[in-house]
Amino acid sequence: MIGLISNEMMKIVNRKLTWIILFLLIAITAGSFVMNKLNEEPVSDWRAEQMELMERYQGQLEIDELSPQMYADTENKLQIANYRLQNDIAPVSGNPWSILLRFSGLIEMVIIFAIVIAADVVSREYTSGTIKLLLIRPHSRSKILFSKYISVSLFALGMLALLVITGYCVNAIFYGFGNLSTTDLFLNSEGKVTEMNVFLQTVKMYGLSFLPILSYVTLSFTISTILRNSALAVGISLFIMIVGNSIIEATSYLPGLKYLPFANSDISLYIFHLPARPEMTLGFSLSVLVMYILVLAGLSWQVFKKRDTA
Amino acid sequence: MNQQPIVQFQHTTKKIGRKIIVDDLNFDVLAGEVFGFLGPNGAGKTTTIRMMVGLIKISRGDILIKGHSIAREFEKAIRYVGGIVENPDLYKYLTGYQNLKHYARMVSGISKKRINEIVEHVGLKESIHDKVSSYSLGMRQRLGIAQALLHHPPLLILDEPTNGLDPAGIRELRNNLKELAHQEGVAVFVSSHLLSEMQLMCDKIAVLQKGKLVSIENVHEFIAKDSISRVYLEVEASQTELTKMLVADLNKTAVAGNGPSELWIQMNKEEVPELNKLLLDNGIRVLSIHVQERTLEDKFLEMMEEEQ
Ligand SMILES: Nc1ncnc2c1ncn2[C@@H]1O[C@H](COP(=O)(O)OP(=O)(O)OP(=O)(O)O)[C@@H](O)[C@H]1O
Ligand SMILES: [Mg+2]
Repeated sequence: MIGLISNEMMKIVNRKLTWIILFLLIAITAGSFVMNKLNEEPVSDWRAEQMELMERYQGQLEIDELSPQMYADTENKLQIANYRLQNDIAPVSGNPWSILLRFSGLIEMVIIFAIVIAADVVSREYTSGTIKLLLIRPHSRSKILFSKYISVSLFALGMLALLVITGYCVNAIFYGFGNLSTTDLFLNSEGKVTEMNVFLQTVKMYGLSFLPILSYVTLSFTISTILRNSALAVGISLFIMIVGNSIIEATSYLPGLKYLPFANSDISLYIFHLPARPEMTLGFSLSVLVMYILVLAGLSWQVFKKRDTA
Repeated sequence: MNQQPIVQFQHTTKKIGRKIIVDDLNFDVLAGEVFGFLGPNGAGKTTTIRMMVGLIKISRGDILIKGHSIAREFEKAIRYVGGIVENPDLYKYLTGYQNLKHYARMVSGISKKRINEIVEHVGLKESIHDKVSSYSLGMRQRLGIAQALLHHPPLLILDEPTNGLDPAGIRELRNNLKELAHQEGVAVFVSSHLLSEMQLMCDKIAVLQKGKLVSIENVHEFIAKDSISRVYLEVEASQTELTKMLVADLNKTAVAGNGPSELWIQMNKEEVPELNKLLLDNGIRVLSIHVQERTLEDKFLEMMEEEQ
């Protein structure tokens, strides 16, 4: 099995596409944080700033027609700003971990790149004809497919790690290494303002985000195994991802949508206490994702195992 | 030389949809023989090979490799097989060496030494560290053969292996396969269109047509069996008419050839001494007798015509 996985890794690593993707990943991550630094305005008096923010949030809640998600977000921010002023807790500044925490959107980039890699790993063997020589070895098809799945999953995990490492390094250059025991205000799962460790929250968010990444990897992998066409696999997966993001909003009106993977695939919603529906919990979301992963992986396994290889 | 069966076809049948593509094959391939698998385009050769290596399911019947069913004991049976199916499709974005390393990792006990040995053996030493995308078809064919032989399989299956090889390469491959079969006892199963090549290479020939096995014989018998050869005869120009009459006595027809003194007759090689005696006894001055033996190609094409 180790041999099979190192084979698959060799095939991923020796492709130009892989290196282009890794380069883009580093460039986009570093670029985002550099832009963030350049656009930063120095805060002279945090209390005055928080007062100003509170006014703005209140204005938004009263006047604008906000989507439920935005409304909840603004309410949360208001609550935290209020808590800061009452308890005299300054916002954290100049900590690389807290900046990483705010850039959860970069995880979507890892998802897109992982979709592209996963779409290729099986279908490419078919389009290049190498599947024939691959399958006439003393290994069951299940083992061969599984080693491919493990390999793309490991590669996706590597990309996620690379994102965090690059982000941390760039921010560390600007702000220093950052204190691991720094705390900040968050809303806990009951919606109460609580002081939490910033580093641990960051680890939680990026760590748990592996599951949504894995579910898109599985989706793309399965489509490409069944259709033997990587372009279609990328196209369908991206389409589902984009449509899925807009479904998150709709989930607040239609309770049934909470069983779809989309409203469950943004871990940052739980870090910032913005569940798509009040009854949804982190545990619920993770279970839904695991279910989808198992069903999709099982589907591609059955198809791959049984099919005549022309 | 041990002659145990390495491959046993048992009522092997492949149906796709309603179409029967391979129909009830029953024969053995023995250790130590080069087994030629002939047939026109679309006869079902590649389909048969795909079933032998477990790439497609067998609709009815079975194929045993060293006694293990490829369908039910795939991992056991495939261990004995090395091969190329259709084209030598290898990973183009990897080097030749990386390709071999890839396949070596999939079976236990293949050392670096063995990889280097096989690279030398197929004559790719110079270019083994180049990307396969830069290889010619012949070089890819060689690399394909290298990966097939890597683990010393007792059964070697090659689908049109001479495709893309230059004449020297073909000859090398032929000697190579013969040596593998005759010295090391490997069963070599080759499909090819190059009939003249098969004639030189194979010990046994099976002919497939429209999915059915129409003949299976040792190569010499295959060509010679009830074979009518063309006998060229050269006599004194003045005696050709007399010769024709004498030949007619044998219930044969002598046809005028190119020159005024040349004739040819369709007949069995075994009858030539008889003809010679008859002519001599009647005072014909025979200048030359020449039997043109038929090639496998003649026989094959004839056979295909008969089947039509
Ligand atoms: N998946 C399939 N569906 C339907 N028919 C098929 C399929 N695969 C092969 N065939 C048919 O089976 C027949 C045999 O094909 P096969 O490739 O085995 O022939 P072959 O003897 O290898 O021919 P060639 O000499 O051209 O390589 C052909 O008529 C082909 O059309
Ligand atoms: Mg063929």
